Amino acid sequence: MYLWDYRELIGNLVVSDLKIKYANSVLGFAWSLLNPLMMMVILYMVFSNIYKNNQQNFVIYLLIGILSWRFFSMVTTSALESIVTKQSLVKKIYIPRDILTLSVVISGLISSFLEFLVLLPLLVILGVGISSTIVIFPVVQILFFLIIYGLSLILASLYVYFRDLNQIWQVAIQLGFFLCPIVYPLSYIPEKLQAYYMLNPVTRVIGMYRDIFLNGTIPGLSDFLVVLAFVAILLIVGNLVFSKLSRRFAEEV
Amino acid sequence: MKLLLKEKVRQDCEDAIVVKNVSKYFKIPREKKRTIYENILGLFQGNYGYEEFWALKDIDFTVKHGETFGVIGPNGSGKSTLLKILAWVLYPEVGSVKINGRLAPFLELGVGFHPDLTARENVYLYGSILGLTRKELKTKYEEIMDFAELKRFENVKLRSFSSGMYVRLGFSTAIQANPDIFLLDEVLAVGDEHFQKKCKDKIEEFKRSGRTIVFVSHDLESVKKVCKKTMLLSGGRIVAMGETGKVVDEYLRLVGDPAGKNDPGMKAIAH
Repeated sequence: MYLWDYRELIGNLVVSDLKIKYANSVLGFAWSLLNPLMMMVILYMVFSNIYKNNQQNFVIYLLIGILSWRFFSMVTTSALESIVTKQSLVKKIYIPRDILTLSVVISGLISSFLEFLVLLPLLVILGVGISSTIVIFPVVQILFFLIIYGLSLILASLYVYFRDLNQIWQVAIQLGFFLCPIVYPLSYIPEKLQAYYMLNPVTRVIGMYRDIFLNGTIPGLSDFLVVLAFVAILLIVGNLVFSKLSRRFAEEV
Repeated sequence: MKLLLKEKVRQDCEDAIVVKNVSKYFKIPREKKRTIYENILGLFQGNYGYEEFWALKDIDFTVKHGETFGVIGPNGSGKSTLLKILAWVLYPEVGSVKINGRLAPFLELGVGFHPDLTARENVYLYGSILGLTRKELKTKYEEIMDFAELKRFENVKLRSFSSGMYVRLGFSTAIQANPDIFLLDEVLAVGDEHFQKKCKDKIEEFKRSGRTIVFVSHDLESVKKVCKKTMLLSGGRIVAMGETGKVVDEYLRLVGDPAGKNDPGMKAIAH
């Protein structure tokens, strides 16, 4: 694959991206750990009172939802702008343009790995414990990464042509937050809608994270199949759309 | 090493750049729509048309290995478009472009420099964008900093650099890309006298060592000095091509200034 030939460049772009992301604030990396924790506290206060909650370990349940949603929402949001904000790399020199999107998504993957670290002490403190199923975590993380990358290719290339896509995507992210089981238990979904509800790959992925960390079980085969199908579809469609649209990037960006 | 050898052999028997029948148009919308909102409105209003503007038409030429090739012409004649097509940045609608050898486009210096990274970090980033490996950069790092005369500032963020320092760092890194083919777009007109001289010497050195140079400029004196062969573009077409002196005369005649007294750049704008 041609991307392999550019591994040093991709590595450099990822490292620069991480440096810039964390160097510009006083607390730097600490913010990205504090942020999901504070978010968890707020949502816990709101939602543990709204409905009778029979979900065990709701704190952990929430935090896993928030961490996985952050991976999805933050990376797609910044990857959407990955081509437009790096104009000079598109207009003044040739490098395969998908490298720009890929390096943003890889940088997000690394951030997400680090953010999930915040979960480990809480699992111990709250008495859930750390199950051996944690070894599957990287696999789930990579699958989610591939879904996000495929989607990002579509978003980044469309954004070059449609500059209000970022506004639309912000709304979609808000909507998605409530369409996925982040703040409510799965049992909250009416039974006849469950089948449709479970077609959402992000719902599946969040469920897989919870299996690994909270329930200490290996995710079901159907989860893997649905997620893999979406990985394949999004990677194929994403690459097709991107390569078609990237021909005129230098003119439109 | 094996690969390099193969490249060497290929260079010896083939031309550096072969451009065949290249044409390029830009779509100029009657009304520029940049958002989905505007596009939806456009559906109802029905003004979806655009005009085709042919920036280049039927361009055919070859540049041999070791040749210095100039491209001149009035503003808007398609020079930069051609250079961007050679650099793979723009995609030609019609025709084919073949490049044999490692190519370094100097359309802008310091592409991808980031103000929040230090000089050292930026050298590594820019170097890898230009296709240098980490190993190559490590061995050449000192040379880059010495040539730029910025060794003292290697750990300073680029944010605090002056534009002159910025360009010096960019140029010093870029020349290390060690390409077979240079694409130069008037980037030499940067920095103070002292640094300009260093740049010109470096270009001379590359010329002597047998690299191929494609040079786009309004500065006819530089073109005469650097290039053996020159192409004159006007309105996206090749008007003349051949020995530099003759083509420059042709250009002056085209812009109506046969004596070459007026600044050709200014004249071109008027044209």
